[in-house]
Parts: sequence; C-alpha cells; structure tokens
Amino acid sequence: MSTEPIGRELVLGLAILAACLAFALASPFFATPANALIIGRNAIELLLIGLGLTFVLAGGGIDVAVGMVMGLAAIAAAHGLLMGLPAGLALTLAVLAGTLLGCLTGMVVAIGRVPAIVATIGLYGVYRTAIFVWLGGQWLSGLPSGLTDLLSGTLLGLPVALLVVVLAYALAHVLLRRTPFGIHLLAVGHDEDKARLMGVNVVGTRLVAFALGGGLAGLAGAFHVATYRNVEMTIGSNTALDAIAAVILGGTSILGGRASLLGTMLGIILLRVLQNGLVLVGVPSLWQTVVTGLLLLGVLSLEGHLLGLGDRLRNFWRQPA
Amino acid sequence: MKLTSLPKARILVLFVLWLALLGLLAMFAPAFFQPAVLRSILQFSTVLALVSLGQALVVLGGGAGIDLAVGAMVSLVAILSMLAVRAGLPGFLLPPAAILLGGLLGLGNGLLVTRLGLLPLIATLGTLFLYGGLALALTGGGPVPGVPAWLFPFGRGTLGLVPWHFLAFVLPVFVLVALILSQTAWGRWVRAMGFRENAARLAGIPVSRVRLLLYVTSGLLAGMAALVTLAWFGSARPNIGQNLELESLAAVLVGGVSILGGAGGVFGVLAAVLFIVSLKTAMQFSNIATTWQVGAIGLLLILVLLIDRRTVRWNA
Repeated sequence: MSTEPIGRELVLGLAILAACLAFALASPFFATPANALIIGRNAIELLLIGLGLTFVLAGGGIDVAVGMVMGLAAIAAAHGLLMGLPAGLALTLAVLAGTLLGCLTGMVVAIGRVPAIVATIGLYGVYRTAIFVWLGGQWLSGLPSGLTDLLSGTLLGLPVALLVVVLAYALAHVLLRRTPFGIHLLAVGHDEDKARLMGVNVVGTRLVAFALGGGLAGLAGAFHVATYRNVEMTIGSNTALDAIAAVILGGTSILGGRASLLGTMLGIILLRVLQNGLVLVGVPSLWQTVVTGLLLLGVLSLEGHLLGLGDRLRNFWRQPA
Repeated sequence: MKLTSLPKARILVLFVLWLALLGLLAMFAPAFFQPAVLRSILQFSTVLALVSLGQALVVLGGGAGIDLAVGAMVSLVAILSMLAVRAGLPGFLLPPAAILLGGLLGLGNGLLVTRLGLLPLIATLGTLFLYGGLALALTGGGPVPGVPAWLFPFGRGTLGLVPWHFLAFVLPVFVLVALILSQTAWGRWVRAMGFRENAARLAGIPVSRVRLLLYVTSGLLAGMAALVTLAWFGSARPNIGQNLELESLAAVLVGGVSILGGAGGVFGVLAAVLFIVSLKTAMQFSNIATTWQVGAIGLLLILVLLIDRRTVRWNA
C-alpha cells in the first residue's frame, strides 16, 4: 500500500538532522547526553498523544480536548497514588479514565453527529472546568513516587519510557496496517459514504478511534505524574494543539484516509528539538508557539501550493450525499 | 429551498433557553433585574458580539469555514497597536490603526485559505498559534499600558444604560451586515456559496474573492473588539482574547447559523451573544466560581448541536 507519504518522513528526518547540527554548533549545551534526556522526557507525553491523534485524524476526526483528557487522567492517577493504590493500579486508573473520556468524545462525535472540531472545542471547556474544580484551585504536588519508580526507571538497561513508546508505536502499526479495524478506519476517513456502503461499521470505528486517543492520553497523564510528581492547574492546555501540529506535519491527512505513524513520531521529535534548541540559543520560551505556528503554516502552505489540493479541501464539510 | 430561512429549531431552542434563564433568575435571584446589571451585560457583550459576527460570516460562507484565530487576533491587535503608540504613533490614529491591523491579520487568514488552499480549520489553527504566540512573546506576557486617556469614556461611558461602544460599534455593524446579507448581491453570494459552492461557482460568483473578504471582515471586527478592550481597560493585555474562539463559535451555532454554511442570520447571533453574557453574569451573580463559565459554555455548545443533530451531517 502506498498510503505512507515517504517523502514527508525523509524531509522531516533531514530537518531534524539539520536542526540538531545547527543547534550543536550554536550551543555547547545542546549535543549532550543530559540534554538528549531532557528532549526525550519532554517528548514522551506528546509522542503518546500524537499517536492517538493519528488514529483520530486518520478516521477524518480531530480532537482538541485530548490535552484536558491527559490532565483529568493525571489527576485520577495522582489521587490513586495519594489513596495508597499501588503504582500499577494508578496507571490502570489513568488509562481507564482516559479511555472513558475518549469514549465520551467519540459518542458526541460519532453518535451525536456533532462536527468533531466543534464538539471537542466544547468538551475542552467542559474538561477544563472539571480540572479546575477537581484540583480546587491549587496544584497537586509532592505526590508519592510509585509511578516514578515504575515508569521513569530502566528495564534491561533501557529507559522504560522509551520501551513503552516503541511498543506503542509497533502495536499501533500492526493495528493500523494489519487488522480490519485499521483498514476500516482509513476507509472511513477517506470516504465515509463509500465505507458504509461496503459494510464498514462507521460509528463503531470512529468511536474506537476516539477511545484509543483517550486511552493514550490517559497513559500520557500517568507519565506526566511519573515525571513531575505534581499536577498543575494549566496541565495540557497547549498539548493538543502541539500534537495536532506535529501529526499534520508528519503527513497524516487532516481530511482523513491517510496516516503515517513514523511521520507523527518524527514531527513530534522535530517540534521538541526546535523548542529545546531555540531556548538553548537564547530565544525566550514564549516564542515556542510562534515557531510551532510558522512551522505548521510554512510546511502546509508549501505543500498546498505544490499539490493544488484546493478542490478536495473545499469539499471537506460537504461530501456528496 | 429558501436561501434565507433560519434553522428554526435552534432559534426555538435559544428562545427556550432565554425563558429558562429568566425564569430561574426571577425565582432565585430577583435582584438580578436591575439597571446596573443590564448595563454590565451590555458592557461585556460588545467584544463577543463583534467577534461572533465575524465568526458568523466566515461560517456562513461555507467551505468548512471556521475562524479559530478570532481571539488571537484581538490579543495581537491590542498589543501591536499599543506598541505602535509607544513607538510614536499619534494617539488619534490609534482607532483606525487597530481596525486596519485587524483587517491585515484577517487578510493573512483569508490568503492562507483562498490562495494556498489550506483547510480553514488548519489555517486558523496555525494563525491562532502565530498571532496568539506573538502577542505573548512581544510583551513577555505582561500588559502594555499607556492608552490615551481621551479614549476611556468610549470604553467605559454609557448613554443611559447602553455603553457607547455598543451604540457606536455593535448596533451599526449588525444592522449593516444584516442589510448587506439580505439586500445586496454580495449577501446573496455569501449564502449561495455557503449553501452549495459548486453551483455558486458555476453561476459565476467569485467565490474565492468573497471568501477572502469574509476573513478580512472577521479581522476588521476583531480589530474593533481590540479597540474596545483598549478603551475599556486602559492597557493592552496579551491574553485578552482567550476563549473567544469557543465563545464565538457557541454564539454563532446557538444563534442558528448552520455549521455547514449558507443558513442563518446575524440577529440570532446577537441574541445568542446576549444570552451567553447574561448566563455568565448570572453565574457570577450567584457566586458560582468563574471557572465554571467556560465549562457551561462548552456544554451549551455541545447540547445545542446534539439537539439539532438532524441538520448536521457528520464530518470533520
């Protein structure tokens, strides 16, 4: 199948190399093992959430509320730890909370037939309030170290986080390319009506995609607790937008029907390398969102200009009945 | 099918919501009904009304139109125009400069959508990053003070119960846009291309040009809103536009505009804006923490669309 836009991944890989080279020359602190660890640690949440969003986008959806889902799952895990639950159970709690919230999003979108962007903007508000209310206006800090011991350690000499990410992407690859679900998802994203005519369970497929996105956001929440051992009021407020930008950069189509897991991974690494490197060469971190925006618009403008996708884009919300 | 018909179901929903809110207030908080509260509702409505009108036009024009950057435009215009004043721009030029800057930012969105063929969702998500990020980065996150004092009466004064900016901006632009939509060829073009784009193209409507103008208009209105915040608060705040994309979308959709474009009118949007601000005011009045407001509006947005599901086809 030639659904993977290989060119994009090559470009991203080269861009990462070029950025690393430039930053290494500009700052003595960039090319150090400690900094690589920092970049990796900062990327882990986004890598998991981006993976989930790749599924959501592949099915023709979008979810701007996943960052809040991560936040709620992190709070659930934190409360679990505070109540003395073992780390494994707290982890399960986070993933479960994320999956349930993802199901809720999926139900509003797939069953309620509310356009995903509008539905998830609304849910963003609802979840945000839930986070504020649940936290009661203050940080959860100084959490027990259970999840930290479980997720921030090493196994067989490799960081557990790295193993989890590699495993998640490998499973996702199998799910997307080798199972009926993955093929159905891409079919639904490509053309919902044709997929339905061919007997695909459109509603169910979409629901699972959103649930998967939620579950991975929940896992990201557990990693957040493990890494920082606190939950801040603003948790996840930029996460979804960063992740969406990276997933689209990676070559997954916002129109659905085309997904690239490798592209998602590279897009996120590029984003985090740029954000890290720019801080090291002295650009204030407030400029990060500007850089993300420019990167997203720059790459897509170039592509849209070259490929003339205009007509397909314009028919986005209105497919033939 | 009539091009001008409102999705009546949603207007009915809005009417019921209004009745419910007023009923609850009459029962539990009769003190709400006093002139000062009405004045404050109108005071808080201006910014949302202006921004929602722009959002409504973009959505009406179809083609998956949506403007996620409205709030970021308000923030960035406020910051840029105050930086210009501090760099020596004469104070009396501040109002036209702010509105013009808004138009330029809107032009950016419009060009991305019409010339580069980007999906509005992605184009305006990108500029939401870009404009919102710039507003924060240019100021380091702090406010920029120094708005000329002669602007304050415009931002804070009232004629009777009605704030000056509501009289000077909201009423004229809503009437003007309503007239344009119902009485001119341009208005018919907007509805026609939102209703069925290919047919509109075949009929010779310059769809891209009209759409570009819709995004520019949204920017101009965001510029006006930014000017109102300057005159009101006396300083430019980089996060003043926060949550406006959520609130304006809620106002537009609750106000009866179809997310698919083509159907809806601007006075429904104004009624929805007043409802949303009244709801927020009522919540504040009842000592419900302000953090509940964003959740309530999100819920409102989802519920109205769920009720209305038969007119909305899945996609996006």
